[in-house]
Amino acid sequence: MNQTMIKMIDIHKSFGDHPVLSGVNLKVHKGESIAIIGPSGAGKSTLLRCINKLETIDKGAIEIEGTVIAAKDEPGYSVAHKHEVKAALAKTGMVFQSFNLFPHKTAMGNVIEALLTVKKMNKAEAIKIGEKQLARVGLADKADAYPSHLSGGQKQRVAIARALAMDPDVMLFDEPTSALDPELVGEVLEVIRRLAEENMTMLIVTHEMSFAREVADRVIFIDGQQIVANASPQEFFDNPEHPRIRAFLEKML
Amino acid sequence: MTTIGEYFLEALPLLLDGLISTLIIFAVVVAIGFPLSIIVASLKTIGPKWLRRVLGVYTWIFRGTPLLLQLVLVYYALPTIGVVLSDNLVILIVYVLSVTAYESEVIRGGMAGIENGQYEAAKALGMSRVQIMRRIIAPQAVRKVLPTTCSEAIILIKDTTLIAAVGEFDLLRHATSLVTSDFRIDAYVVALILYLIIASILTLIFSKLEKRYPASI
Repeated sequence: MNQTMIKMIDIHKSFGDHPVLSGVNLKVHKGESIAIIGPSGAGKSTLLRCINKLETIDKGAIEIEGTVIAAKDEPGYSVAHKHEVKAALAKTGMVFQSFNLFPHKTAMGNVIEALLTVKKMNKAEAIKIGEKQLARVGLADKADAYPSHLSGGQKQRVAIARALAMDPDVMLFDEPTSALDPELVGEVLEVIRRLAEENMTMLIVTHEMSFAREVADRVIFIDGQQIVANASPQEFFDNPEHPRIRAFLEKML
Repeated sequence: MTTIGEYFLEALPLLLDGLISTLIIFAVVVAIGFPLSIIVASLKTIGPKWLRRVLGVYTWIFRGTPLLLQLVLVYYALPTIGVVLSDNLVILIVYVLSVTAYESEVIRGGMAGIENGQYEAAKALGMSRVQIMRRIIAPQAVRKVLPTTCSEAIILIKDTTLIAAVGEFDLLRHATSLVTSDFRIDAYVVALILYLIIASILTLIFSKLEKRYPASI
């Protein structure tokens, strides 16, 4: 249970002159679900996107299950061989705020795309997995629907199924409900909650405080490019020590 | 004097013969130039910098100069540098290069309009850059640019008249020879009708394609 899934060491990242992360350290254990919260523009999404190399880091190192996938100016760390990095990255799945479904493919087409192209499965095999994953998010009946014919909540559930189809060890959720109408948020959170119950390792950037409190094993608060708090939800929500956290929670709750 | 109907039937075989050159050029450009345009557009989007530069120069030259000039220049210049190809091959190569220069830019524009999230989602799924272009970006871009591509196709049909400049007989040149030998312009009318028929067929095909592959589903 205490196996380290992700290790981030002294991560620094700026966009031009604008620093986004300044010395972030984070360890994620297997089976943990971690809620990442904090003010807008604090670097929450960037932190997540560094883990699957959608962003490069300026300094620091990142390990996924012991494989160094990114390292820069960090003594003792050097990036693993290309194939190992690729294999490690394949253990991550990501869900985006704006779903990013492929609009020219059906729900099933979206879910099986990477099974066909990346895992080189034959179509029958891929469809079997696709059916299972779509059922898992409650959309077995929408397999042939194009994204434009789905609601926001359904789109996001297809996106989750698409990521799960690749059988990841860790799921990265980048504000999965922020683009949804309020009445559609629940169905997506329900799917994520079930994943937490199945002990999926998850990092969830979210603004849903009650969800974070209920589902997360740990809450990480990022502000001013740094992790200000890294605590259990009880500790974090009931006893916020840091004045910046108190100010943030007062605004959010 | 024969009626226009009789003349039409008389002139038709010769004009259809000229039409064949047009259709061969069109078929070759569709079969080679179109796939090539997708590849060139993809390379202009994700290729290494030096290659993007090379393709930029190629586009600059072939878009920036008249097709007629390209045709006569290549046709007469190749033998002087020792390259001897059949006339037909030279003509086909020039048409493919010229059309690809335009169409690859059209498709590249379509690719540029696809939101970054599509690349990111595909990348997060572990897809390679080539897979992303081939399976995600290119299919969407091609759908988007179908209307412009239809115009390109019609322009190509009309531009095939230029092969007359290197001594080949196309539809229009046959028509002209009939007009000058028979002292009546009916052959031009027949040619005009034939061009319109081809353009209509193309428009029809593309509107079917647009319905079958809508830009946004």
